[in-house]
Order: sequence, then structure tokens, then C-alpha cells
Amino acid sequence: MFGLFEEAGFTKVKSVVVPGFRFRHRSTQNAAESFGVKSVLFTAQKPEG
Amino acid sequence: MAETVIRSVADEQESLEANLKDEILRMYNEVAEHPDGDFHFYHGREAAERFGYAPELLDRAPTEAVASFAGVGNPHERSDLEEGMTVLDLGSGAGLDGIIASWAVGSTGRVIGVDLNPTMCRRARANAEASGARLECREGQMEHLPLGDETVDVAISNGVINLSFRKRRVLRELFRVLKPGGRISITDIVSAKQLSQSIVNDPQLWAS
Repeated sequence: MFGLFEEAGFTKVKSVVVPGFRFRHRSTQNAAESFGVKSVLFTAQKPEG
Repeated sequence: MAETVIRSVADEQESLEANLKDEILRMYNEVAEHPDGDFHFYHGREAAERFGYAPELLDRAPTEAVASFAGVGNPHERSDLEEGMTVLDLGSGAGLDGIIASWAVGSTGRVIGVDLNPTMCRRARANAEASGARLECREGQMEHLPLGDETVDVAISNGVINLSFRKRRVLRELFRVLKPGGRISITDIVSAKQLSQSIVNDPQLWAS
């Protein structure tokens, strides 16, 4: 996803993992973890001019 | 032969997208109509507090907007909204993020929500009205945003872009509607590994 922002033209792309994110049910959380699923906060900017 | 195969793959993709759209509409309606239901994701006030939403903002917001919250983080953490800004809330749902953004940009600012689901747009408008927030909601797809070029200062979104099969297209649209120097603050779900085809082909799992 990070690369997709840059590909679209965004600069100053930054990401930080959302610490409180998890699924309510243990089985879903386990499956998510096996795929490395996480919630991320992305910030980026469209270049000036 | 190659053309036939390409056409067949395109048809399959179109059918998956249509199923996915239906499943997303169904799931978010379910959260909005039965906020006490047992979903496999945290939602409502419990989720918002988990992601660091200020309790006083949640107290001030309409109960229904808070109860229907189904975000995956807190895009306000780094949105740096200021008075007078124009904000896009992509996938505005029942309106909680748009309402909070509206309070930040004040009466000289503008918040435009875009949601695939006309029912959610109606709810967002009603919730905004109940809280004195200025939030417009436009029904539309994130791959074809119903906004003009370079009209937005900041775009926020919360757990929505991952639902699209065409993420490149969505990001190009965000880039198009942002003014030069405009910013995005977006929380979303990412996966470190390629999801299996059985997950990708299952609208219920994808919509989750």
C-alpha cells in the first residue's frame, strides 16, 4: 500500500501501525496474524504546484 | 483465444466486485441497524476509545454515530485540520469522523462525506444535523469520486480503501481531488502476505 501512494504521486508518505487494532474473536485474530494483517495510519502529501 | 480468456477474467472480476459491493452494503447496514450485534471486529464506542478518540468528542457526538462507528484507527491523530479547510471523508459511514472533522474546520470550513451506501449517507446527514455539524454526504464510489479536481485540503478515511479491488484507482482519485499541497490521513488494513484466492474470491471475508 505504501508504494501505491508514491505511485499515485504522493510525497512524504509515512505510516505508523495502529496499536489498538485487533479482531474481537480469537480465531479471526489468529488468522489475521498469520497473514500479517494490521491496521496502519498513512499520511502523505500532494506536491505543491 | 487470448481475448476470450481476458474477457472471461474481466467478467469474473466484475461479478466479484458486484458481489463485494452488495456484501459491504449489507455488513455496514447490519452494524448501523444492530450496533449491539456480535461482529468479529470491534465497533462503536469501544472501538473508538481503543483508537484514542477523545471521550469528550464521543460524548458530544450523536449516540447513533458513535454506536455505528466501524473504523480501524483514528485518522484525526495526524490530520492537523484547521479552521476553514475543506475536508473529504472517504467512506463516511454514519458520520462520526466527518462530524469530528466538521467541528475542527468550523463554520468557515466544509466537510464532504462520500459513501457507497445511500442509507449511510442519510444517517450521516441526520447525525450531523443532530450535532450541529456541517457535513454533506454524497453517494458515490471511491473509484469515481463525485468531487472536482483540486477542491480538497485534507482527505481522511477509516478502514475503507482496503475494500476496493482497485486501490490504485482510488489513490489516483484522492490525488486528483486534493489541492496542491493537500494531505491525506488515512487508517486502513494492510496484509503483509498475499491473501489466498479463497479469501479474495469470498465477498464476505473480503468485506470483513
